[in-house]
Amino acid sequence: MRLARLRIGRYSTIILFGLVIAFPMLYLLSGSLMSFRDIAQYPPRLFPTTPIWDNFIQAWAYLTPRTILNTFIFVFGVLFLQLAICLPAGFALSKIRFRGSSVVFALFLVPILMPTNLILIPTFVVTLQLGLVGTFLGLILPIAGQASVGVLLFRQFFSTLPDGLIEAARIDGANWFQTFFRIALPLARPIVAAYSVVTFLTAWNLYIWPLLVAPGEQTRVLTLALAPLATTQFSNISPSVGFAAAVIAMVPVLIVFVVFQKWFTRGIAGTGLE
Amino acid sequence: MTVLETKRGVGAERRHPRSSPRTKSTYRKSDAVSAWLLLAPALILFITFIIIPTIVGFGLSFYEWNFFDTPAFIGVANFVKLATDSAAWASLGVTLMFVLLGVIPTIAIGFMLAVLINANMPGVGVLRVLYFVPVVLSVAVSAVLWAFIYDPRQGPIGALLRVLGLPPVDILNSDTLALPALVIMMIWLALPIVIILYLAGLQRVPEDIYSAAALDGAGPWRTLWQITWPNVASTTFVVAILQIVNYVASSLDVSLIMTNGGPLGATTALSLYAYRQAFSNQDVGYASVLSVLQLVIIVAIIGLGRLVTRRFTR
Repeated sequence: MRLARLRIGRYSTIILFGLVIAFPMLYLLSGSLMSFRDIAQYPPRLFPTTPIWDNFIQAWAYLTPRTILNTFIFVFGVLFLQLAICLPAGFALSKIRFRGSSVVFALFLVPILMPTNLILIPTFVVTLQLGLVGTFLGLILPIAGQASVGVLLFRQFFSTLPDGLIEAARIDGANWFQTFFRIALPLARPIVAAYSVVTFLTAWNLYIWPLLVAPGEQTRVLTLALAPLATTQFSNISPSVGFAAAVIAMVPVLIVFVVFQKWFTRGIAGTGLE
Repeated sequence: MTVLETKRGVGAERRHPRSSPRTKSTYRKSDAVSAWLLLAPALILFITFIIIPTIVGFGLSFYEWNFFDTPAFIGVANFVKLATDSAAWASLGVTLMFVLLGVIPTIAIGFMLAVLINANMPGVGVLRVLYFVPVVLSVAVSAVLWAFIYDPRQGPIGALLRVLGLPPVDILNSDTLALPALVIMMIWLALPIVIILYLAGLQRVPEDIYSAAALDGAGPWRTLWQITWPNVASTTFVVAILQIVNYVASSLDVSLIMTNGGPLGATTALSLYAYRQAFSNQDVGYASVLSVLQLVIIVAIIGLGRLVTRRFTR
């Protein structure tokens, strides 16, 4: 009896705090469907009187399909490149014995605690010197180059694979590339999923780097289109349309998060505890 | 078994240096070639966009440069400039305020919420989603939302004040309230990651410690601080570092989008000040000095934190 009461107490506490944390976002969803009158009403309304789907049509026009496409190009470019460079590097560092292996490993450890914002300016300088400012390559390559966490994560994973497995493939005559692609890579699927979800989210939400390197119409990503809504807000665009734009920008990540939640939490726990 | 194998391997190598390719202690040229080929793409991008910028960043702090002309070596002049630049020291104060107001609440709230939802009860897995939800939001998306929440004319806080008959407060334009307001949003954004890390940490605490504590008659509050908290110390260490870095460096996105450093510089932290020096004043050298200073601050705070926790745990 006492146990049951304790349980109910814990459930209610969990729900209460959960709602407090989720409230701003639930309000964002609800507000995106409100009319201008609804959202400015005193006392504030929790739900729209009638859902105004037109907010989303206006928000879509404000964001432009081009910006949404750009965001996908940027995010998948970063994701694909990160996997393409980090997986083989992690494999080589964990399973192949060669001179210099520990030096390379140490090199990848260098920036692990250094926030990328600290090298923002010199990274911009390098990108500028390479003539990549204003291009998708300039947008993607420097972010894909932030390979430390990926390389170390995959190295750690591959080193848990039994050496015998790799050696058996080698004795059968497979070279290192075949061993990597046919034996190691298929086994890495769970860790690849976890890392991909985290990378997708991170890249989707980046703001400063796209702002610096590729703010032009042809390369502009969603965060750049959204940010002005937080300050010039409500002068020329209704807050509920702003909310709808925020929801549109959020939907892809929300879908990825809901579908891959298990992988996401593993990815965070894995990369954070590196 | 493995020890024996290694020993045999070493012996074999000594007798015929090249004939024992499968032992761990030998290096083969073809292995090295394959390894470097597999590493090459990662190394090229990593060196170009991380290692070189790191070196360039330190180097540029001794130069005067505007991105376009030839950089001029000026020795430690940029560091001397820092010593007398009161705006820089003010922004350092803002950075420390971000850390001071942000880090400890983020850790404490994150830890307690993780303990709360670390329950083996049906349905809790689904309810956890509520706690993870802010993680999908970018700073840009959440800025749109929170700027509205803080808006004195239309936002819910303004409405509440009006209902209570109090004068409206323009939170983001107040030099005392703007920074705490940004920190509250940052705590909210950071919580999911902290909770996830603590959940992983809590899962590694052995169950029998709790039953032992219960046998000793420890109440839930004592169990929390004397059993659970010390047992997730390694997680706390990781979380603390991540959050110190978060509040020193990532406040850049937040203040750039929400307040543009205002009002009157009240939310211009070092990161934003350095950004302005580089991209508005074109003073790349001085901006580099300010970036180096941020690194020093991060290392100093982490070092200080370790010192303090060691004193308290002894």
